[in-house]
Amino acid sequence: MRKNPLELLRGLWTTFRSMLESPVTYQYPEIKRPVRERFRGRHELKRYENGLEKCIGCALCAAACPADAIFVEAAENTDEERYSPGERYASTYEINLLRCIFCGFCEDSCPTEAIVLEQNYEVSFTSRRQAIYTKDLLLVPVPTNGRQTPMKVPPGSFERAVPEMEDAK
Amino acid sequence: MTKSLVTLTIDGIEVSVPEGTLIVDAAKKVGIDIPVFCYHPKLHPVGMCRMCLVEIGRPARDRSTGEPIFDEDGQQVIHFGPNLETSCTTPVGEGWVIRVNSEKAREGRKQIVEYLLTSHPLDCPICDKGGECPLQNLTMEHGPGTSRFLFDEKIDLDKHVPLGELIFLDRERCIQCARCVRFQEEVVDDPVLGFTNRGRRLEIITSSDPGFDSYFSGNTTDICPVGALTTADFRFGARPWELNRAASICPHCPVGCNLTLNTRREARAEGRDVIKRVMPRQNEHVNEIWICDKGRFAHHFASSIERLTKPMVRVNGDLVQVGWDEALVRATEGLKDALGRSKGGLVGIAGGRASNEDLYVFRRFIEGLDGHTVLDDNLAGGDLTREMGVGRGTDLGQIGPGDVILVIASDLHEEAPIWWLRLKQAVERGAELIVANARATRLDRYAAHIIRYPYRRAVQTALGLLHAVTKRADLSPFVGDKSLQKVAKLFMKAENAIIFYGREGLDYKASEALAQACASLLTSTDHVGRANNGLIAVWPRVNTQGAWDMGLQPIPSGLGEILEQASAVYVMASDPVADDASLETLLREDTFLVVQELFMTPTAELADVVFPARSFIEREGTYTSGEHRVQRFYPAVLPLGGTKSDWRIVTSLANAMGIELNFPSAAAVMLAIAESVPNYSDLTYQALTIAESQWPHVGGESLYFGGNAFKNSQGLGVQVGPAAEPGEPSEVALTMPVEESEEDGLLLVPITRLYDRGTTVLPSKVLHPRLERLHIELNPKDASHLGVIDGAQVEFRMNGKRFQLPARLVATVPEGIALMPRSLGVSVVNPIPVQISSVE
Amino acid sequence: MLAEKYSSEIESILAKYPDDRKRSAVLPLMYLAQCEYGSVTLEAMIEIADLLDIDVTQVASLIGFYTLLWDRPGGKYRIQICTDLPCALQGAEEFAHQLCEKLGIQLGGTTPDGMISVEGVMCLAACNGAPMFQVQGPDGIQYHERQTVESALALIDELRKRDDSG
Repeated sequence: MRKNPLELLRGLWTTFRSMLESPVTYQYPEIKRPVRERFRGRHELKRYENGLEKCIGCALCAAACPADAIFVEAAENTDEERYSPGERYASTYEINLLRCIFCGFCEDSCPTEAIVLEQNYEVSFTSRRQAIYTKDLLLVPVPTNGRQTPMKVPPGSFERAVPEMEDAK
Repeated sequence: MTKSLVTLTIDGIEVSVPEGTLIVDAAKKVGIDIPVFCYHPKLHPVGMCRMCLVEIGRPARDRSTGEPIFDEDGQQVIHFGPNLETSCTTPVGEGWVIRVNSEKAREGRKQIVEYLLTSHPLDCPICDKGGECPLQNLTMEHGPGTSRFLFDEKIDLDKHVPLGELIFLDRERCIQCARCVRFQEEVVDDPVLGFTNRGRRLEIITSSDPGFDSYFSGNTTDICPVGALTTADFRFGARPWELNRAASICPHCPVGCNLTLNTRREARAEGRDVIKRVMPRQNEHVNEIWICDKGRFAHHFASSIERLTKPMVRVNGDLVQVGWDEALVRATEGLKDALGRSKGGLVGIAGGRASNEDLYVFRRFIEGLDGHTVLDDNLAGGDLTREMGVGRGTDLGQIGPGDVILVIASDLHEEAPIWWLRLKQAVERGAELIVANARATRLDRYAAHIIRYPYRRAVQTALGLLHAVTKRADLSPFVGDKSLQKVAKLFMKAENAIIFYGREGLDYKASEALAQACASLLTSTDHVGRANNGLIAVWPRVNTQGAWDMGLQPIPSGLGEILEQASAVYVMASDPVADDASLETLLREDTFLVVQELFMTPTAELADVVFPARSFIEREGTYTSGEHRVQRFYPAVLPLGGTKSDWRIVTSLANAMGIELNFPSAAAVMLAIAESVPNYSDLTYQALTIAESQWPHVGGESLYFGGNAFKNSQGLGVQVGPAAEPGEPSEVALTMPVEESEEDGLLLVPITRLYDRGTTVLPSKVLHPRLERLHIELNPKDASHLGVIDGAQVEFRMNGKRFQLPARLVATVPEGIALMPRSLGVSVVNPIPVQISSVE
Repeated sequence: MLAEKYSSEIESILAKYPDDRKRSAVLPLMYLAQCEYGSVTLEAMIEIADLLDIDVTQVASLIGFYTLLWDRPGGKYRIQICTDLPCALQGAEEFAHQLCEKLGIQLGGTTPDGMISVEGVMCLAACNGAPMFQVQGPDGIQYHERQTVESALALIDELRKRDDSG
């Protein structure tokens, strides 16, 4: 032992000190750790305040997805049965969360800010089938003053599919 | 007739092109893509969009002497004008220097893109064209990136304008290139689209009634450089980059248009691949880049839920689903049992919808059991088209001045629309078209001569022509009038001549006589065995020519007689009972009936064993077109579970019956075909896959279409030549027509309409508003004698049955004639006199 | 039906053009229809198309191209203000809006009495006299240059009076 014995004491001091510290572990699931604002959790499909779905079924998220986890099928809106502004809506929207790598490319590519990776990380399943989240699971609830989709709207009131948005900063 | 070459320099590359070539095409020849929107190689240039601006330098000349000017180094001085010029409207000139990618030209194009986008909605995320859009592509390549124009000043226009039942217009997306307007006017001569207003407010309109209902309307969505025109079938159906593609051949008519089937997996179809859209595939020898709307929209039958998916056998009078093994055992036992009885033999009936491979093994199988094969069809002459069909290298796109085409007893616009289009274009190039029919058809307006004969006298007319050419004494009863003599002269003088013959107003025997007369006319004027010469039958099915080539042919007297003697009947891709209900009793009796089909047809309902077959989108095979081009189609989607290709069903049954027919693949069947069918001797699947590069370039990287559906990399097919050699006119036996006695009442004549209600059309819901409804067409004079007004119900009796249906008064129907469009519900096989009366 | 009422006029119009260039008669025939009905109705378009052997769409598309032809009814007098760029620089747009405001109608609209329509049109080739308009009415077309809202209103009053007395 040619080394300085003081080094040994320093090491022991670190151990001793941490014995006095309060533990950093959370008692999950009783206590849930808050996530960072930019945390990328499970996806949600957003709605406008009136209840219309923001998703227009353009499938750009599916195109951007590096894991090929998203599948979209579109159909045409009518004023009698309107799901989203404009002519097109997603009739099928599925994300395979086993494939998803939570990279957030889908969010970046979305022209209407419809898909957002929110803060829910409690995603578990007991079968592969359950890992496929369908549109009704992904869609957020209708806001308080909004209506459920499909809704009947006055003709010609929602012609623009892509809303005017500020440029990303 | 070769044009002199002109040499010019484009961006430093020297190129020599024929005089009159446009700069944009000359540049394309050396691989320089000048961006365009309004220009399309299949349309006349108009120079509307200004996207193709380039700098053009012309050799300077001394104004007084006209001599070229040279600088100190002895180089010719090139003078560039102050303005950019449109390269799509300017033909090349000797010694010119073109700058495509100079700073000035690039800046000019950048501004044009900026302009085009001033009122474009930029709703690419929901646009069907997004991803294969020339405007997107060229904006990325040539656009400024930002716009100086205000977003708020974009004009809001209608986004959902149905131009007809099949095509929708989005006025905001339109960039006013007029490709659709020009297509309708120049290519199909049906100007139902037009521009109204001016400047930024220019809009596409149609005021016609019915609106945009041309048989070729779908093509406008392909050539539209933006997403302004969309089809009812594909609207919001999928994004282009999600689509897979497979090469195919249209199964609806004998033209054999080349198709690209775009497929994708659908949740709606429980995760199966489905056809999302049908696109034309470029084949300049067959369909160029066009297809008709039937080919484009009538594909849903192949993925219909009505399809048979399991073999069925008859148990206690009912058809029940069983496994393949059991069905094969039942069929084997049933056939052996039936053939063991002394009565008659085996009859195999096949239709022209089956591929060459199917038909070949079918004939081997039936003949292996000493049976008799029958082609279910009522147009004769396949033996003559095999002998005297069009020669190798025939291309209707090359028919021009000095060439003559005769179309007799056929309405090509309804029966084979792309042939109609190609003949119209041939006339525009200078060919002389002769149309002979008993009534006016849409082809008449391009005809140099129209021969109008009474129904039942088509053969006499053709023999009259033959007499005028040969002066054969035995034909003297058929001497025609002056106009017929004139037409005959045209034939004798013609450099090339092609005859299209059909079956309108003819029964089988008459069509045979007509085919003989036409073939004889061609041989006696030396128009056989060469390219662009010969006989073409307007077959009712896609592969009827192939069926004849594989050795099948119809029975002149019809199926009744032979079925009466048969103890076992095997039916493939054919539905004889639907055409002739009287066969039902013959098949119902103690005949053992095996049917392989896509659907539960009236014939299949009578069967003892039914095998589910695969449709053309699920398998591979070849069809032989009316022009004798053998073309290959490929599987596009996974087959419906439980189905097998027709030829495989036949071979499995054959092997079970002890006949050696072992083929590992369709390609192997083709090798066997090549060995035994003389014309097909050099065919292999590899040969059918060869795709030479075609001009104009419209697929792949071309700027005329942003996607790759047009691209043909899977084969142009091979044209098999006829047996006849040029120069040695072979004698054709003629059948003299029998004068038929005039009977009371009207002659009921079956005719063909494109949108019928057959099993291959009806499952396409998108076409339903356009489908013909059951009706009978009468001449207004006859109708007034009968006391029938337009739309009123009439009735008649035929073969002991009474029919009641609405009448339509049409002036082009000859007097004494009633026309019955086929496949609408009342089946008329041959012209037949009927007593029509009005229903109170 | 035009053909019955104006058979001789139609004949003389058609006689001006060779048989294979019959379609050239489309403009004079539309003008005839417009004089008769106040605008070129769809029925008139169909009739003209039949007369000339062209498609009705080809007739209809011309109406949008020419500012002198309409496919929907308007006022008895149509005031057409040129709002193209040079005129707009001279205040034609402002002039048009103020005039409409005074008349209580939208640009392109018609006064409730059915007398006056005001519309903005493309170049009338009188930029030097902007703001300017032309009046189309039963008695033909007149140009009115260097206009103010007041002078235009005075003219409109005069037109209304003329109609009352006539």
